[in-house]
Amino acid sequence: MAKIALDKVSFTYPSADKATLANLSLQIAQGESHALLGASGAGKTTLLNVLSGLLQPSSGQIFFDDIEVSQLSGRQRQVAQVFQFPVLYESLNVADNLAFPLRVQKLTKSKVNARVDYICGELGLDAVRQAKPKSLSLFEKQLVAVGKALVRPDVSLVLLDEPLTAVEPKIKWRLRQTLRKVQAEFGVTMIYVTHDQTEALTFADRVSVLTADGIVQTDTPQAVYQSPAHEFVGHFVGSPGMNFVPADVLSIPGAQRVGFRSEWASLVTRAPLMGVIKRQRVQGTRKGKVYGLVTVQTAFGPIYVRGDLADGGADAALGTAVGVQVDRYVAFANQQKVAESDRL
Amino acid sequence: MLPLLTNKRWLKVTAFKPHNNRAWLGVLPVFLIVGFSAVIPLMTVVNYSVQDILDFNSRFFVGFQWYRDTLNDARFVDAFIRQIGFSATVLAVEIPLGIAVAKGISKTSRMTPIVLVLLALPLLIPWNVVGTIWLMFARPDIGLLGVLINAAGFSYNYTADPLHAWLTLVAMDVWHWTSLVALLSFAGLTSIPAPYYQAAELDGARAWQVFRYVELPRLRGVLVIAVLLRLMDSFMIYTEPFVLTGGGPGNSTTFLTQYLATMAVGQFDLGPAAAFSVLYFLFILLFCWLFYTMVMRNDER
Repeated sequence: MAKIALDKVSFTYPSADKATLANLSLQIAQGESHALLGASGAGKTTLLNVLSGLLQPSSGQIFFDDIEVSQLSGRQRQVAQVFQFPVLYESLNVADNLAFPLRVQKLTKSKVNARVDYICGELGLDAVRQAKPKSLSLFEKQLVAVGKALVRPDVSLVLLDEPLTAVEPKIKWRLRQTLRKVQAEFGVTMIYVTHDQTEALTFADRVSVLTADGIVQTDTPQAVYQSPAHEFVGHFVGSPGMNFVPADVLSIPGAQRVGFRSEWASLVTRAPLMGVIKRQRVQGTRKGKVYGLVTVQTAFGPIYVRGDLADGGADAALGTAVGVQVDRYVAFANQQKVAESDRL
Repeated sequence: MLPLLTNKRWLKVTAFKPHNNRAWLGVLPVFLIVGFSAVIPLMTVVNYSVQDILDFNSRFFVGFQWYRDTLNDARFVDAFIRQIGFSATVLAVEIPLGIAVAKGISKTSRMTPIVLVLLALPLLIPWNVVGTIWLMFARPDIGLLGVLINAAGFSYNYTADPLHAWLTLVAMDVWHWTSLVALLSFAGLTSIPAPYYQAAELDGARAWQVFRYVELPRLRGVLVIAVLLRLMDSFMIYTEPFVLTGGGPGNSTTFLTQYLATMAVGQFDLGPAAAFSVLYFLFILLFCWLFYTMVMRNDER
């Protein structure tokens, strides 16, 4: 368990002419669960491999607890990793799999057993201790892989590489819940790499959004959602992503574009931003009223507004001209946040 | 047949399915083809093995007489023991050596395809050419290998010394067939996803542990095939020893096939040769079955 610091870390693949990671700086506190969120091609896997010691940074430094580890192997850094699919020793049973990293360190038998018992208890693996990985479900296998990452008492950092990709959606939340619980109890520093914004926002204490140009924002999930520092963040996070319109449409000075979330706007009869209702998607009812997502076709592309739907069914209002009233916004210039309105 | 019956999941699944015996009609062509290609010729041999055939018109039913004779035949028993010794020796050399060669091949180098083709070369050479190559290669008077060994100070003559004949035969088989094991193992090794190696590295596993716990379990499938192929092939080896040593010196390298050929083609003892063939066939079947069930039982545990 360590605090992690990246100082201007760059990485260029030998055959590439452009750096995959350029001047990344990042601080992660001890015991923090941190999510690295990014689209494919943003360099998530490269950054992960740099952290795990598989790749060594072309320049810059990595510190674990203020000790420089840039040139050390993952083994020396005492990093553990959980992969996209469960990676276990298939010929060993669950207990032996968990004991493997400890036995390699030549710990005494009683220490190994105590630690394996503890992990099995925490992760609810007692019933399958003697089972071979082959006979376990995908969920259980991934749980054992998580246990194997946590079993070493001296582990400095646990890396999770989209660990829920292979797990079916129904039990995704269960594994995430377990991870969250274990992370809180063990106080392990965890870095969770994902392209799924829901996973990132629900799992982590802090989220870093990674693009090909580097980290564009590092903040709490709430701040990343409510006050994106970069247009990409607003666009990438949230379902649907932020709506963007030119700033002069809403008469907001000093900005080029204005972004607002679908729930920050409402439909009125007249507003500076006018459009035609193109589609209505029912998402549920609230206090007896049907609400959902309305797609309004405007001169600046489709705008999504979340709120109560008009009476008379989803099709009744199609084609109606409406105004979009923006109650709260974030203003951007050169894609960077320049201003942000308070809730009105 | 056996794994199918012992696999309980299979039984469970079929229990819910309605029976439709018309499906057998679909399998009928396969039965016919197998019947003509295997069962009928085999039955002819079985038919011969219980009769004493003197000429076209006179033959007598002798029951299991030929089988008893064969099993009591000292030359059969000797050849059988030699055969087992040969198969065990080549398996013991070729499997570990093949794995070692496969581990030595780089997975990413640009030379890899060339190395693989070079490795496959011995597999493309006809059996009796292999025999002829070694016949000349190992000759103590003009062969490169034979002359070199003698020049190094070891008296070596595979045509005179039974031990030398054996070693030469084993060397020839290893030269001919190790590539097969190596190629199969290489295919198995390349199919191991990189995260398995990464995880083992982060766990602090040493090289032998990576081999024992990551690679070997994943090579199991191809190794079972490699062992079965080499077991059957080496147990039936004929052409190469026939060309190289002709079974000699004495009878020291006479294997089952060669003895059988002498009986059937040389002496035209069709009855005993047929009984011999059936026994031979059953033994190969038995060994393969034993090996396979042993592996599968280990798997279930």
